[in-house]
Parts: sequence; C-alpha cells; structure tokens
Amino acid sequence: MTLDPKAFPQAARSALNDPLLRPALGRLKTHFGAGRAMAVQRYGDFESLRDAGKAIRDYAVTHLDELLVTFEQAVNARGGTVHWARDAAEARRLILGILQDAGAKTVTKGKSMVTEEIALNPFLEANGIEPVETDLGEYIIQLRGEPPSHIIAPAFHLSKEQVAETFFARHTALDPKRSLEERNALVQEARAVLRQRFEAADAGITGANFLSAKEGAAVIVTNEGNGDLTRLLPKTHIVVTGIEKVVADMNDVAVLVRLLPRSATGQPISTYVSVMAGRRGEGESDGPRDFHVVLVDNGRSKLIGTEAQDVLRCIRCSACINHCPVYGAVGGHAYGATYMGPIGAALNPGMMGVAEAAHHANASTFCGRCAEVCPVKIPLPKIMRHWRAVEHASGLAPKAITRGLALWAFAAKRPALYRFGASIAARLLRMMGRGGAVRAVPVKNGWFAVRDFPVPEGKTFMAQWKARR
Amino acid sequence: MSGREQILAEIRARRLAQAPKPQRYSAPKIEGDLVEAFAKRLSAQHAEVRILNSMAEVPEAVADVLRARNMAARIHLPSDSPLASLALGGVEVRGEPPSAFDAALTVAPFAIAETGTLAYPARKVEPASWHFRPLLEIAVLRASDIVGELEEVLAKLGTLPSTLNLVSGPSRTGDIEQTMELGAHGPKALTVLVVKE
Repeated sequence: MTLDPKAFPQAARSALNDPLLRPALGRLKTHFGAGRAMAVQRYGDFESLRDAGKAIRDYAVTHLDELLVTFEQAVNARGGTVHWARDAAEARRLILGILQDAGAKTVTKGKSMVTEEIALNPFLEANGIEPVETDLGEYIIQLRGEPPSHIIAPAFHLSKEQVAETFFARHTALDPKRSLEERNALVQEARAVLRQRFEAADAGITGANFLSAKEGAAVIVTNEGNGDLTRLLPKTHIVVTGIEKVVADMNDVAVLVRLLPRSATGQPISTYVSVMAGRRGEGESDGPRDFHVVLVDNGRSKLIGTEAQDVLRCIRCSACINHCPVYGAVGGHAYGATYMGPIGAALNPGMMGVAEAAHHANASTFCGRCAEVCPVKIPLPKIMRHWRAVEHASGLAPKAITRGLALWAFAAKRPALYRFGASIAARLLRMMGRGGAVRAVPVKNGWFAVRDFPVPEGKTFMAQWKARR
Repeated sequence: MSGREQILAEIRARRLAQAPKPQRYSAPKIEGDLVEAFAKRLSAQHAEVRILNSMAEVPEAVADVLRARNMAARIHLPSDSPLASLALGGVEVRGEPPSAFDAALTVAPFAIAETGTLAYPARKVEPASWHFRPLLEIAVLRASDIVGELEEVLAKLGTLPSTLNLVSGPSRTGDIEQTMELGAHGPKALTVLVVKE
C-alpha cells in the first residue's frame, strides 16, 4: 500500500463506504475516549499537569540545540554513539551502515513511528536485512503489508477475524486446524512466534518517547514488553527518533510519563516504562554491547520560529486522533501519511509541504476537541488554519474554493447584503430539510454527498437579535 | 557541513524566542500508608500483591503462588541473587534465564506507591531481561523500599544504570480490537511479595 496524502478526498470517500471500518471507529469513543476521561478525573488536578507538560516541552523546543548537544555528550560518556540525519534518506543510510558494521541479518523492531516516517523497512529489505516488527499491532500490519492506521494502535482498523485470517495465511508452519477464535489465542501465537525472533535477532531498533539530555537516556513506554526484549537480547541496540523528543532531564520525563499514558489509553502508567541509557554496564549479564541513537530532523527544524512551532511539543499520545470527528469518520489510512488526524493535519503540511498535505489541514470542522484534550496544549486548529492560509496565499487552493471565499468575503463586507443572503439561505435550507437534516440540495451535490447539514431553526441570528431588542 | 552542524545551525538560525526554565512540578502526594497505596494501585493493574511478615515466609509463598497458577514447582533464580541463600524447600531452583513458559523469582530494589510500580535498576546480580522473559514473575519487595513517586527513585539512584525498568503489572496488549489481553511478550502474571521486615 503506497501512502499518498494528495488522494485524501477519494480515500476518505471510500473509507466512509467501508462497512468493516465502522466497528473499529466506534471503539474510539468507548475505549480511548472514555478511558482518558476516567483517568483525567481520577488524577485530580490534571490541568496543572498539562501546564507543567506544556512548559517542559516549550523549554525543550526552544532549547533544542543545547539539549541535543548535552544529550550527545552524555551518550558518548556511556560509550554510545549519536548520529544526525537531516532527512529520511540520510537516516536510512546511517541505520543501514550501523547494521552492516554489526554484521546484522535480522533486526527486531519496537514500535516506532519515525521508522514508518522514513520508510525504513522496505529499504532494509532491499539491502538484505530482515526487519521484524514485534509490537503486536505492528507485527499484524507488517504481515499484511499495510501501514499503521493509528499512531498508538497500528492495527486499529482490523477485527480479530481479520487478524486470525492473517495468522493462518502467514504462520504456515503451525497446525492449520488450530483454533484462533479467541483474542488471547492470537496474542499467545504471536508471543511464541516472536520470542524465537527475539532470541535470534542480531540487532534491535526501538523508537523513543523521550530523550533525557542530562543522562543520555532514551525512554520508551510500552504495555507488551516487546521494546525491552528488542533492546536487551541482541548485541546492538539502535534508537531512532525525532530531534524534538529531547527534554532536559529525567525529572521532566517523570512529569511527562504521568501525562502520556493517561492521555493515550487512559492508563495511570504504561505497564513498562523503560529508561535505556547506553550499552550494558560493567559486569551486567545482559543488555546491548553497542548503543546508537539516530536523531532524525526530516523537516522538524524548519518548523522552529514559524506559526507551526508549537506542534513540535507533541508527545504522540493520540488523544487528538481519538477525539477527532474526522478521523472518527474516515479512519487512519485515508490520510495516506504516517501521522493522521489532527496531529497529522498540523504536522504533515509542515514536514511534507503544503502542496502535498494541504488536504489534511482542510479536513477539519474546527470543533476544537483536539486542542481541548492535547496534553501539551498544542493549538491544533490554529496551526491547521495557518496551513490553510499558506495554501490560499500560494495559489494552491482549488479554484472553486478561492472563488467561493471571494464571493463570501464580498458579501461579508456588506452587512445589508449579507443579512439578506443569510435569511434567504436559512429559508431555503429549511424547505429542503428532512428529519432535522439537509441531506441533498438541487444544485451540485459535492459537499452534501458525504455530509448532513442541520436544518436551521427559523430566522437568522441577526433577525432574532433585532426582534429581542 | 555535516548533518550535525547543519541541523544545529538551522535550529539556532530559526529560533525567535526561548521559553523560561519551567518550575519544578509537584504531583499530588499519596495520602496515608505507602504500602497500602502501592498494593491497591498495583492490584488494579492486574498484578497480585501478597503482604508477608518476614523473609522466612517467602519460600512457602513462592510454592503457593506456583500451585495456585497450576505451574510446576520450579523457579528460575539468578545464581548471584540475594535470594540465592534462601531454602526454597520443595521448589526446584534453576539458574539459567527463564523461557516464555517458566516462572522467575526477582528482587525489586524500589517501588513507587503513586502508580503501583516496581523499579528495577539493571544490576550485576539481576539481568534486566528476566523481567520480560518468563510467563510468571514473582518479585520480592521490602516494604521499606516503597517510596511515594518516581522522582524519589531517581534521587536515590543518583547516576542512572544502563537500564532502569519500571514495571506496573503483567504484560498486556490492546492491539486487537482495543480489548486488553494479558501476556503479550512479557509475563502473563506478576505476583509481588511485600515483606514487612
């Protein structure tokens, strides 16, 4: 499956008509949304925690140079090596070089969105190295040749029956008559298959939720424990992550670790929080003998000093995705990009260019839920609006939209004309409404084809206001 | 220009203003007994917590946990573990790393009451991978080693070891239909024996 953000409108339309997607999208609210709400309520003063998280990340984003240099020195002091990659191609080359130097043939992988972003797996395969995803969701979609549909639940779009079909098709050495009806049978099968891969791997690649500059540590949060087996069993451990993940020290990490799981899955803490600082210590009987960190820029640094800078605070919890009505309708694959939902809409136009990903910024009702739940208070709608303005200013917006906006602006500057127009529109929509919603209009139906519009109650706001006074 | 120099130069050239150093955050403090808070929170995360009066009760508790889980009377214990001198009676002791179907006995040097978390700094006497390899982990924890929050563990450690593992229950996944299943890669069960003295 190739990723094409420009195909978003068509992909969104077919996603809306995909019956298999409905049950999965229903779980956004019942599982993630409800879980977060409960965790927030139980914590007590969650607002102060969000403010603290925002301040920590703001400090980091505006001191990236200092913190990255401190991080590098601390990693070096522990016998590790830091590599700097300007873009995806450089990151891929650096990682391949480390693996080739280590003589690696198979590499286990913990969950990492940055390695999705740089399309690492196909590159390694083309160079004779087998990557094995070990996060259950990532493993399932790797077997199916699909990209993740959600940043913390990569196989979010699949049912357990689809997972069972995939295992029957791909685990051909196992008894074809075995039962895979229960979810736990699927989990146990993956555990057994992947444990052999862990034991045999030459190298392990993980991402990082945070980098702690002072201690030279990478921190990951997981529920499965796959990230730890990825680090601890092979000879070489490579951390691949974005330059913006760094914070000052472990005390900052301790604050963010309170914020991340609650915002993501509603857990007070992830089952495993692992602080990984360099190679195995003197006398320790396991842990990697070589430790590398690949810091990936790939469009991040150019967001500094722009109106989109705040997006660099993101800790990739997915709360914005889980509360987004657009993601909730079309799912993750429609975006055709590694980052989907509101965070994708704010990040992708900046990293990939507005010409590539403007559709993402346009795919928002500006309801504002994303900003309300963001643990580090990123003004996501504001950043999306910024990308829309950039699209408009650079003449990239479709003609119909530019003309429509020009017409609207003409009327909006003339109050009498605007009021007259609005009262006609309200009356027309009222006439066309059926059962509380307008589902079609007699002219070109593009907008209404996939949306309903609530029937106006009666007179316009201005008319009612006038009557009241 | 190298990648490193170019990235750092880009960051410095583009930056407009710098945010101030944030004030130290102070998390809501645990009210009441730390042992009780720890046990309550870890139990809520699908682990079993047993409170013992002394180390002398550990062997019988280990045997009982294995029986209750229908597992063989066999446990993996690192040969240089502080528990190695303990006479485990009828339970066979193995020194090699546990497989995905074995039980392991470990010592947690610290625990955190706020989140019901065991803290394992990597040490010579206890390989970090042992917290992820077995099917069942039985952890021995002294009640006096329970602290309020993660920051206290960091302060006690001073310098970080190569790996610090924080464990708050058995391994789990929600990756299939967002429904929790235990025993994804790490242990399917975790029992903590909290020893009062």
